[in-house]
Amino acid sequence: MISEEQVRRRVTQIMAEEFELEPELLQPDATLYEDLGLDSLDAVDMVVALEKAFGMKMTDEEAVRAVRTMGDLFELVCRLSNQQAAKE
Amino acid sequence: MKAEIVVVGSGISGLTSAALLAKKGRRVIILERNKRPGGALKRFTRRGIPFDIGFHYSGGMGKGEILRALWKYIGVWPRLAVLPFPEEGNENLRIRDSGRVVRAFFSYDRLEDELQRVFPDEKQGISTYLNKIREISSTIPFFNPDLPLTPYLHDLFSPKGMSLAQLLTSLIQDTDLYAVLSTPVFLYGVPPREVNLTIHASVAHPLYSGVYAIDGGGQAIVDAFLETLAETGVDILTGQEVESVIVKENQVAGVKTSGGEIYASHVIYTGHPTSLLDLVPDGIFRKAFCNRLRNLINTHSMFIVFGAIDDPDTLGDMTWVNYYNIRTGLDIMDLDLRHPEKSIMVNAPGRRDSYSTGASRGVLLIRMSAWDEVARFDQDAQGKRSAAYRKWKAESADKMIEQAGRLWGDACSRIEPLAIGTPLTFRDRLGSPMGATYGVRHSMNQFSPGVRTRLPGLWLSGQGTLMAGIMGASLAGMVTAGEIEGLEPLWDEVRQCR
Repeated sequence: MISEEQVRRRVTQIMAEEFELEPELLQPDATLYEDLGLDSLDAVDMVVALEKAFGMKMTDEEAVRAVRTMGDLFELVCRLSNQQAAKE
Repeated sequence: MKAEIVVVGSGISGLTSAALLAKKGRRVIILERNKRPGGALKRFTRRGIPFDIGFHYSGGMGKGEILRALWKYIGVWPRLAVLPFPEEGNENLRIRDSGRVVRAFFSYDRLEDELQRVFPDEKQGISTYLNKIREISSTIPFFNPDLPLTPYLHDLFSPKGMSLAQLLTSLIQDTDLYAVLSTPVFLYGVPPREVNLTIHASVAHPLYSGVYAIDGGGQAIVDAFLETLAETGVDILTGQEVESVIVKENQVAGVKTSGGEIYASHVIYTGHPTSLLDLVPDGIFRKAFCNRLRNLINTHSMFIVFGAIDDPDTLGDMTWVNYYNIRTGLDIMDLDLRHPEKSIMVNAPGRRDSYSTGASRGVLLIRMSAWDEVARFDQDAQGKRSAAYRKWKAESADKMIEQAGRLWGDACSRIEPLAIGTPLTFRDRLGSPMGATYGVRHSMNQFSPGVRTRLPGLWLSGQGTLMAGIMGASLAGMVTAGEIEGLEPLWDEVRQCR
């Protein structure tokens, strides 16, 4: 079981490194598209980077598309990685 | 020099994009680093015998089918002499574990009859499988052109759904039948456990709908495109290696080549997507995109013996029948390098070609190969391979010829190898990393790259962006041209040519 805090720290680190963003901008209420300037092309790269880092699949496209803010992203990664870890 | 659009690479996707864009009135230049254009479709000759590297047969060329419509629209179709495989043509599949032989005909009905004859206990599963492939293909615009392209393309790149292996194991018990129904994977390079049904159906459906060769092989296709391109004013500059993409004000401004600078507002890169990273200045792409392209998993490579036979009539029906020796089960793509009996394929396309005029005819022996087999020889510069490499190559070819003789008759053991292609050859000649036959693996384990990039004016094309093979690559060229010109209007014009 990976804690929310661990997920939050790791997601922040990956987003900062892979998208060259300032870590302090990556607050839960920051929106990916408006505040952080990501676009639909970046979304796939983001999924690939997070899947690799957490060793999980983010194939639920609806759930990924519903992500608006960093907070949504923390929550989704937390839910999926714990769900998939439980299955293994 | 100046153009509106520069196409990097003159394989079938580059030729298709260029022809479509020129037809729309754009000023297009194609750059090719080799001396001759055509990529994997080019032919070479040894002792007067022509050999094809990448094109042997394809579906999609029947009446109303997509490749025919696209090539008609472009204007190359009337220049081609298309040779439909006769009814008796098939893939003769020998399962090495059981010795069973199954003829996989290029027709839904004949295939179903043959499979139900050989596997009488699996009748239901066979019908369900074939219906499933038909049903999925009817949701793919390339096989049901009344559908729009955009929603399909949007969905294609997300790896999801049921795998081919899951479908087969849910319907069928006999492992020989798993292997038989999985053989289309050899035409796109993704193992059955990793491929979703859409990708599989995109190759299996045209295969089950009828296949075609072209007189003069891939070279005839290249020549037809070159004639059409010359008429529309497209310049092809060969021997030009692209060194970098020129970027001005965060948008494409052209390319720098070994021969100078060419200014253009669009650049279409048809090489392997990973190689694009070397051409784009630092800081243009984000690290996430670079890592994604860098970590793409590719398809396997092949080991091909291009041989000759002096008395081609002794090869029986090998003109229109491709002989395969494969293992049972779902792991038909595993490289069984240690097994004495390798999975191999033999056919004699030289016998159906009017360009082959001498008494001797070309024969191909093909098996899968991986970079691991040749990595130890990759130390010298190109063209200066070691004696150890030449010895390994010759011995491996002899083993394949001997095996073919044992499996399919004495005639095969008289094949004389005139040229041998290995993963090293394909890497160096075709620019594919590790000699990957079909480039990027369209696997459920990864997202294939799309056509768009973050840099305005820079586009990807080629089989890595859409589908493998000649049909996949030509359609990829159409999709990239469509992204520039307007996808649905272009699609609408192409489908009118059915």
